[in-house]
Amino acid sequence: MSWTLHRIDDRLIHGQVVVAWGQRMNPARIWVVDDASAASAWEAELLASSAPGVEVRVMGIAQAAQGHAAEAAREGGAFLLVRDLAMALALVEAGARVTEFNIGGLHYAPGKHKVHEYVYLDDVDRAAARSLLARGVALWVQDVPASRAQALETLDPSVATARTGPRE
Amino acid sequence: MTRVPALLITHADLADALVRAAERVYGPIEDVGRLSNEGLSRIALEKEIAERVAKWPHGGIVLIDFWGGSCFTCGVSATRGREVVVVTGINLPALLDYLHNRDSYPVIELAERIRAKGQESFRLQRAPTA
Repeated sequence: MSWTLHRIDDRLIHGQVVVAWGQRMNPARIWVVDDASAASAWEAELLASSAPGVEVRVMGIAQAAQGHAAEAAREGGAFLLVRDLAMALALVEAGARVTEFNIGGLHYAPGKHKVHEYVYLDDVDRAAARSLLARGVALWVQDVPASRAQALETLDPSVATARTGPRE
Repeated sequence: MTRVPALLITHADLADALVRAAERVYGPIEDVGRLSNEGLSRIALEKEIAERVAKWPHGGIVLIDFWGGSCFTCGVSATRGREVVVVTGINLPALLDYLHNRDSYPVIELAERIRAKGQESFRLQRAPTA
């Protein structure tokens, strides 16, 4: 299994991913799964340059879902990044078998409410979170490896489902 | 020569701390923008940077703590199409060099100077053993 981290983070590739998680897990590849970034060659090039020494692939949801299982069988570790909960859900609904997502950063925007220092959600985010949890996909809030992982439904019980319930 | 403006973009409060440290060596500092990425999404950080550099009619320099972080990606994205150079790895010697030379060089040459000064500042020295 090459997948070592599936992460939801509105900054996509940035210091915590490259330095903190990257130094700990030493991935061979990082997939940035983002339709908008994949549509821009310039943006894809910028993201690729942000992680020297790591193969960065920028692709849309459909392509990522299609290649997800094959990547799992490859040598070397791999990270997958999406920018929000809706995209995480879209990836799973498109067929990617993901058992858990790390939530690394969903920052403030108008209409979003704080559930954690670096996690702000609105109703759209919560609906996506509920759907992911109902599908058995765990959601852990943790910015860097050295910090404590906390279940999202513990921080925000409104996203808990009958299947999961609040966890510690 | 027109003064080359600069914006320092860093994690946490490093930009403020760097300017405070530079003031101890250089004296009071004006006209150096400072921005932290703390608590900002990529979209929000890009917007903040774009608003600042839009006030630079003749271009300028964005000084960033390290290559690959959100300050870097947002700094590059927000300055696309402008006469702005992004310099990463900013440290105290490089910031001081900017301050001493910002009225004397055009944007590109000044950015090259800052990079050279920052790189030069990494040295190794051991005290002689008895």
